[in-house]
Amino acid sequence: MSIFGSLNINATALTAERARMDVISKNIANVNTTRTSSGTPYRRQVPLFKEIEGETFSSMLSKESGKLDGTGTNGGVKVSAVVEDKSPFKSVYNPGHPDADEEGFLMMPNIDSVTEMVDMISASRAYEANMTAINTSKSMAMKALEIGK
Amino acid sequence: MNINNVNPFNIVSPSPTNVNKLDSINPVETQKPSFEEYLKNSLEGVNSLQVESENQTTLLATGQVDNVHDVTIAGAKAKVSLDLTMAVRNKVVEAYKEVMRMQV
Repeated sequence: MSIFGSLNINATALTAERARMDVISKNIANVNTTRTSSGTPYRRQVPLFKEIEGETFSSMLSKESGKLDGTGTNGGVKVSAVVEDKSPFKSVYNPGHPDADEEGFLMMPNIDSVTEMVDMISASRAYEANMTAINTSKSMAMKALEIGK
Repeated sequence: MNINNVNPFNIVSPSPTNVNKLDSINPVETQKPSFEEYLKNSLEGVNSLQVESENQTTLLATGQVDNVHDVTIAGAKAKVSLDLTMAVRNKVVEAYKEVMRMQV
């Protein structure tokens, strides 16, 4: 296991949190989008996180023997997919809107901007947590260099 | 960067079975990488991290980077490995000076 194992793993987490932030931004941007290319209102999107498992023989071996793969990102996290939130659209009475139906009801995206804001705080805090872990493992490596000084 | 384990010294025990088998011990000794090779591999590892950090910085400057943290992490890796190299090098130079100061 190399001294950069934890750095590599934290880097994958930072990348994943940034990707999550992208999805949240997309949701907030489309909070009023009533028509997409498929004709329906915009559906809220949710990123799915997945643990990175090594595909190579050496990473499988190091995993089975209970060691972290020092050079790779085995044990890190990645965004495996971005799926759609299947909850129903919100129906709003707005007869003047061109996308409203015959009775005057307009289907709005199933996005709650408060939920998105809370998700955003969560992503930001998770990013900070991993940043702290990076700084700690870096300062541990620097402390180790002071042995024998 | 892989930091390989330093192999422990082979203690040749003077048991009656291998006292007369020096020929069979020697090939094992020669298979181990020399100190020069260790040094060379380690320096190559440090250099590759420096090169990677430089590449990431170039990508950042030219606007081709998605993740800013990849650049800073590459920089941190390069710094830590170079500092480790300098710590080892300072120790070696110190030891050399100590030997040279020895009264004969």
